[in-house]
Amino acid sequence: MSVAPHTTSAAPAAKSKSRVLPLALFTAVLLGIPLVVKDSFFIHSCIVVLFFAYMATSWNFVCGYVGQLSIGHSMFAGAGGYATVLLFTQTGLSPWLGLPVGGLVAALLSVLVGYPTFRLKGPYFALTTIAFAEMIRIWVENTDTFLGIPLNGAAGITVPLLGQNVAAMQFNDKVPYYYIIATMLGGALLATWLLENAKLGFYLKAIRGDVDAAESLGISPSRYQLIALAISAFMTGMGGGFYAQFYRYVNAERLIGVDLSIDMALMSIIGGQGTIFGPLLGALLLAPLAEITRSHLGGSLLGLHIVVYGVILILAVLYLPKGLIDPLRRLAAKFNGRGTGR
Amino acid sequence: MDPLILSFAVVNGLLIGGIYGGVALGLSLIFGVLRVVNFAHGSLLMLALYAAYWLQIWAGIDPYYSIIVTVPLLFGIGFMIQSVIIAPLIRRESALVVEPLSALLLTAGVYLVIDNLALMAFGPNVRSATTSFALPPVMLGQIPVNMPRLIGFGAAIVVAVGLAWWLKTTRMGRAIRAVASNRDAAALSGINVPLVYAVTFGIGASILGLFGSLLATFVPITPQVGLNFGIRSFIVVVLGGIGSLPGSIVGGLVIGVFEAIASQFVPATSAAILSLGLFVLILLVRPSGLMGKA
Repeated sequence: MSVAPHTTSAAPAAKSKSRVLPLALFTAVLLGIPLVVKDSFFIHSCIVVLFFAYMATSWNFVCGYVGQLSIGHSMFAGAGGYATVLLFTQTGLSPWLGLPVGGLVAALLSVLVGYPTFRLKGPYFALTTIAFAEMIRIWVENTDTFLGIPLNGAAGITVPLLGQNVAAMQFNDKVPYYYIIATMLGGALLATWLLENAKLGFYLKAIRGDVDAAESLGISPSRYQLIALAISAFMTGMGGGFYAQFYRYVNAERLIGVDLSIDMALMSIIGGQGTIFGPLLGALLLAPLAEITRSHLGGSLLGLHIVVYGVILILAVLYLPKGLIDPLRRLAAKFNGRGTGR
Repeated sequence: MDPLILSFAVVNGLLIGGIYGGVALGLSLIFGVLRVVNFAHGSLLMLALYAAYWLQIWAGIDPYYSIIVTVPLLFGIGFMIQSVIIAPLIRRESALVVEPLSALLLTAGVYLVIDNLALMAFGPNVRSATTSFALPPVMLGQIPVNMPRLIGFGAAIVVAVGLAWWLKTTRMGRAIRAVASNRDAAALSGINVPLVYAVTFGIGASILGLFGSLLATFVPITPQVGLNFGIRSFIVVVLGGIGSLPGSIVGGLVIGVFEAIASQFVPATSAAILSLGLFVLILLVRPSGLMGKA
């Protein structure tokens, strides 16, 4: 894998100009949907899609830029989700604070896991991340209380229903959740944009391109990879906290299980990892599939959407290794009259 | 701890461990030759289990006789996965070795497709096949030894030895070893590399065909059963040394005995956590495994 030439040589001003219009349009549509559509089921589906877009973007923050495949990111979602819920039920801490605190717990976990693991490469790294996440999942599923904290084993924890209660992040209507996750998605995209333009981003790309060369230039791979992992885990943990608040329920299988990790990785890879909008694109294409099969086939064809995911993944790896965003970019470049066609 | 109970646990652990090792043989062979981590390994075992089950339901074929069908069937499936799905990737990569991550992603896609097609086709129900053979336990001193497991254990040893002998002596076996050590040099000396790859993948899968038939009588058959065996195979292969056939059996025995003894002292679920922990530890401390080349 070579260092992906992520920008063309065109002047940055022209580049940002070409991006502003579609970006503004997208933001307007995103914020406008709940104003136009009142169907609560549709809004629910949109929230789920945005949640996956957010999670995939968080995954991409480290994996896309470092070039390592984590299939254990659900452990960070689990850490954040459980922390948010437990802080609320045990100490009464508002989820508005619980989410970032849960993110910090996930970031701490990520440093503990990442410090030894980042030395491993390729499939070894991927398998180790699965192993860590599975260890945590099995442990939580079989632990009722730990040091007096009620984890509640496989049954999971329910957040008590309080009705409309802004301080507890509970709303009778789904629209507030929509705006919360949309804001979080905006934040994650902004963080990725900042990463691309900050020193950290250049360091990570250097490490991805050639670890030894990067190290000889004085870039410490483990240090910068860990920083990126901690930020990614922080965002993923907040996502887990949001999930817990939205469904008012956490359990180990859904929040720490390998399926969520695979979803996050798949959407990023199919959309285009190592780009700002690739994971968003992947989630916008794949997550609705799951929602549509669930709502229209009523569970009669359990697993159909995952079969489709699998086929798309195979086709993408074979024919679009840089993700679906790659042809779109080339198209956009052509439109802007400076064909970069390779 | 009662020594009789403990020795019973050890014997059972050895039997199960041998089966783990046998199931993992194909994963190790495929990685050793193709450098492809086959994420769909467990899914292929799941297919073999269902094949044995349906052969009994539809055709009344005893699981132990269904080997005649499941082994060639799985060979065909493995051959096709390699030549249809993975070969284009290998053709595209000009480097000596396939980028392991892309190959992992491809086989992960195969895993998603197979497991969920099985879920759609067969439903989530747990099934099991029954054999018409009377297989009473044999007594080893005071310890009863479960016969179907002993058969599985014996099959693992026979396959490992037979495969190693076949790789050493036959023309195809030598071609496979040549391709494993240097793909381009093998191609230059006239070996049909794509065919060797497909045959290797087919052999790796056909071993799962055998174990699908042998395990169908005592493993609960569900669409999700594959992932458990897949993850355990990864643990076994990493422990024994990736690409080493004897390592696969030794790794299996170690994990089997380890889990059997551990579950005498802690709940079985904690034993599963411990073996995952062992896996991580081996990767971090000695990535070449117990029997691998350092």
